[in-house]
Amino acid sequence: MLMRALVLLLALAVPASAATRLNVAIGADVNVVEVHKTVLGPGFKAQVPDVELNVVGTGTGEPASRAIYTKIRAQADAGRAPWDIDVALVSMAVASQMVKEGLLLRYVPQMKNAALVKGAEVKEAFGVNVDGYVVPMFQNQIAIAYNPAKVPAPPKTFDDLAKWVAANPGKFGYNGIKGGVSGVGFTMGWVYWKTGLYKQLTQGPFDRSREGAIREAITALRDFNKNVLVTNGNAGTLDALNRGEIAMGAVWIDQLVAWKNEGRMDASITPVLPAPGLPIYPLYLVVPREAASREAAVRYVDYIATPEVQARAIVERFGWYPGVDADRVLPLISAKSRELLFKGVSADDLARYSRQMPIKEYHDLITLAYEEIVR
Amino acid sequence: MVCALPLAVLGVVFLWPLAVSIAASFTRAGAFTLANYGTVWRLYLRDVGYTLGVAAAGSALTFAIAIPVCGWLRARAFGPVEFLLKVPLFVPFVVVGHALRVFLSPWAPGLAGSWTGIALALAWKHLGLAALLLLGAFRAVDESHLEAARNFGAGTARLTRDILVPMAGPSLAVSAVLIFSSMLASFSIPLMMGRGGGAQMLMIDVYYRFGQHGDFETAAALGVVGYLMAMGAALVYLRRLTPRRGGS
Repeated sequence: MLMRALVLLLALAVPASAATRLNVAIGADVNVVEVHKTVLGPGFKAQVPDVELNVVGTGTGEPASRAIYTKIRAQADAGRAPWDIDVALVSMAVASQMVKEGLLLRYVPQMKNAALVKGAEVKEAFGVNVDGYVVPMFQNQIAIAYNPAKVPAPPKTFDDLAKWVAANPGKFGYNGIKGGVSGVGFTMGWVYWKTGLYKQLTQGPFDRSREGAIREAITALRDFNKNVLVTNGNAGTLDALNRGEIAMGAVWIDQLVAWKNEGRMDASITPVLPAPGLPIYPLYLVVPREAASREAAVRYVDYIATPEVQARAIVERFGWYPGVDADRVLPLISAKSRELLFKGVSADDLARYSRQMPIKEYHDLITLAYEEIVR
Repeated sequence: MVCALPLAVLGVVFLWPLAVSIAASFTRAGAFTLANYGTVWRLYLRDVGYTLGVAAAGSALTFAIAIPVCGWLRARAFGPVEFLLKVPLFVPFVVVGHALRVFLSPWAPGLAGSWTGIALALAWKHLGLAALLLLGAFRAVDESHLEAARNFGAGTARLTRDILVPMAGPSLAVSAVLIFSSMLASFSIPLMMGRGGGAQMLMIDVYYRFGQHGDFETAAALGVVGYLMAMGAALVYLRRLTPRRGGS
């Protein structure tokens, strides 16, 4: 982690020649860094020529976002201003923590596209009011991917899934809670299904008396896991699916689509979103409170939130779900992209079964129960 | 005065961070607490045992292979085998983890992610280091001892068992300590090969506490447990390293 922070420090310390320098820190995989370097950055520069973008990736998963948080927190603690990150792409968990600790700028009202930033996830994240602080670059959905040759009737509900797994031991996989957010998300979806407490767990307030129901749900998950292959990550689940070791698994849709686009994945593997649903987990664009180039930072995020840019760079090119108002973005994409995007999981499914992550207290209670009971 | 600079370097790069992490392990929200160790006891005790077990199995496997091969190489030097034995020294941990996972998965899908798979990969990776240390120790044994044994009809196996191993005993112990400690702290190989469920190596738990929960304090407590585990082995090493007084 320290190394990541040092690399970030060195990368951001390189002197720039242009009038305004925009340091963009991306807490996501190299493909997301590349979008900023090769598509979004040049597109923005064509509109605002006197800005020079410096895009730095900090890795993958939650630790990547934490590296950004650690750096900003250190600068805030040192009382040094301005801070040297202007735009950051961070996870929901880290963004909510940064809002709570007063590290972010409430910049969305300054955007021209502010009206397009909508949905429950831009109002509240892990129980923190993030309204005005975050713009999702894109949305990512956790779904159940299946091999149609081995699963002729994919599960429509969690109940179907549990029955299928009992009848087909070892043929369903997910990555537990230590292998990344898709496994955590599957666990949350399981708890929502078993407890029926989706609204309470996502909207709060925290009520300790729910612990019994949560632990009961996790105990059922322990029994479910006896017939499950617990992989070491999302890529591990996709790999096991591709090799035929399993016939179904909980995965991020974007990685499934990306692997299929790259020819690394059996093209027939299809996602499905069983009721009552699984979490959607956006990556948020945020502007640190003391960013040196705040005005340019807001303009850059505004550019990314433009429906045309979302359609071209986010949906068509990468198969991600749009980060801003889908009603404005989706009419701009081609029929082929639409088919790829909604194959298996329709827009209607997303509207009905996309679930939020629980508030932080419940999130921690559920993961703790998992560690204690499932082990 | 001569010691001042090394001590200062030791203090800044090692003792200071160590003290900070130990202090963090006894702190939560700025207050002194043993709660982080309570979490380790409650959630990770099994993983402590698992880590010790995997490191012990990996070390045993490493020496089970390295001792006879190095004994053979000491008795009859053969460059190509020695070179091949040392190749793992230059292969990064992540590559070893990935390569063995890919290699093992089609033949034994369950093995790659199991404790035996991890111990196997750790042994493979540490074979180079073991060869380096053992060959050095075996070559330090005077040739006259080997000649004498050969005159009495000892073969290579006998030479290794009855001459080389006993005479290189202290060096073997130090090598075992170094390799065991390295395996205790292994992260990349368990990360590449392990499953997301069941018992985990301790460094995976450290990463999980920090990476997923931002929980520095429990991660620090796990780190301290790791130090303590390595400490027992390190004490043996230090006793061998420091010249004994009193003329023994």
